Amino acid sequence: MSFREKSAWISVLSMSGIYGFYFWSVIHAGPKAGGFHFGGLLQTIIALVVLQVALTIAVAIFTPKEAKAPRDERDKLIELRAMRVAYSGLATAVALACFFGAFNPPIVFNANSLLFILVTAEILRSACQIVQYRRGA
Amino acid sequence: MTQQELAEKIKLTRQTVNAIEQGKYSPSLEAAFRISAVFGKPLESVFHYSQDE
Repeated sequence: MSFREKSAWISVLSMSGIYGFYFWSVIHAGPKAGGFHFGGLLQTIIALVVLQVALTIAVAIFTPKEAKAPRDERDKLIELRAMRVAYSGLATAVALACFFGAFNPPIVFNANSLLFILVTAEILRSACQIVQYRRGA
Repeated sequence: MTQQELAEKIKLTRQTVNAIEQGKYSPSLEAAFRISAVFGKPLESVFHYSQDE
């Protein structure tokens, strides 16, 4: 498994876990929570950054040569393809969010929906990279 | 020559070399020329194109 693929796995798993917990908390808190909890979101982002940096450093320690190597043409192609898929998903989801936004949902719902769309697009991007690496494309 | 050694000579990753050998990835022209140069062979003897592909 290449370093880039390992990085993609770290991204998918860490984002799914940490943001999964965040959105579960938001849903569990329900409308009674009120407002958009920047504190909770900030903690989530910090936790994600710390986890991803720690795991990436750990992987780099075990494979220093691969970690230092720049992306080659295949890595760049895989990244571009994944970005295209993720962007298509992002654009579609935002369009849907705009449509449902016309029904005047609470602002907290809108804000968390947009965040969910962004996180999903990012997870989709990393997942697409993994699929391409697994297929040996 | 191992895949890793070839990868280092042509500045690609070992996984990319593996994908090229398995026919799952077509290298760029530049990479193809570098590979041919490593083996000291003309391009046509290292890479084969089949119209059926």
